[in-house]
Amino acid sequence: MLQKSRKITFILAIISAIIGVMLAVQLRSSLHPVHKESRSIAELRTTLQKELEKHKNLLADISKYNQLYYQYETSLSEDESISVMKEELERNRRLAGMVEVEGEGIVLQVVDAPVPQEPILDEHMQVPVVREYTIDDEDLRWLVNILFANGAQAISINEQRLVATSAIRNVGDVIQIDTRTIKPPYEIKALGEPEVLLSALKLEGVEENFRLANKKVLAEKRDKLLIAANKEPRVIQFMKPVKEKGDS
Amino acid sequence: MWLPLIGLIVGLAVGFLLDWRVPQEYSSYLSIALLAGLDTIFGGIRSFLERTFNVRIFMSGFFFNTLFAAGLAFIGGFLGIDLYLAAIVAFGVRLFNNLAVIRRIVLSRWINQQE
Repeated sequence: MLQKSRKITFILAIISAIIGVMLAVQLRSSLHPVHKESRSIAELRTTLQKELEKHKNLLADISKYNQLYYQYETSLSEDESISVMKEELERNRRLAGMVEVEGEGIVLQVVDAPVPQEPILDEHMQVPVVREYTIDDEDLRWLVNILFANGAQAISINEQRLVATSAIRNVGDVIQIDTRTIKPPYEIKALGEPEVLLSALKLEGVEENFRLANKKVLAEKRDKLLIAANKEPRVIQFMKPVKEKGDS
Repeated sequence: MWLPLIGLIVGLAVGFLLDWRVPQEYSSYLSIALLAGLDTIFGGIRSFLERTFNVRIFMSGFFFNTLFAAGLAFIGGFLGIDLYLAAIVAFGVRLFNNLAVIRRIVLSRWINQQE
């Protein structure tokens, strides 16, 4: 009887062990399910719907960003045209003498000749008159004209930049450029081919001409010459651009 | 008396250590087999309390119930009949029945002992 009961217990133990294994496996698989598709069609359909929605949103995003990209690109090309405009403006300002420029050129200094060499002159109206004889606007205009004619790009007289509308004139005893008075000694700076300018000056007889006024022109080549900008405020008053047909 | 409990614990440990996993589509069969096993065990306890326990009936009941429950559910899956639902209902009802009977027996014994 005792043996039988022990046998029964043993069998019960084995069976409970089997049950335990089954329980463990069941727990395992329900806690960490092996992923297989177990969703119903309706669920799948709603999921698909959601994913399609997401897809649509992403497509919209793509098109938005494409548009943005396109805008950036066009603005980039606009930038390019702006930079071209800036370049053009810069060029025009340089040509108009509104910016400081530098380059190869010559410097002319009109100074008093050391001593009047001819003693004969002494007996005439003496030194003062001759000395008082200063170069006037005409001389400077002539000089400047020679320089411009021989390819000078920018000229300044005593740091007064000459522009297209610059006028050199006598006002009383002094010379004015535009409205600014310049005083001797005159220093003329010109940007251009130095050799050409110097030979032109020689050819035109500048030195002789100024010697008559008892002045000496000291010409000097410079590799790097700085010419200041024209600081005169200029108002556009009497001119308007003419619009031609076909002009945008 | 403690041997079955020790067996259960050992079985659980072995099951966790073996790290078997049943694919989702087969897990319902396993659960039915498990349900049948539990039903058999509770039935055994009940019959033990009613003093009509028979090892052969118990053992055959255990194996047959688990295997047939799982097998019928499996076949039902092939035939398009949700037989596993029937198995769950049947075993569930029997399980709770057995539990109720066990509770009543234990309670009446306890009350008898008190008196």
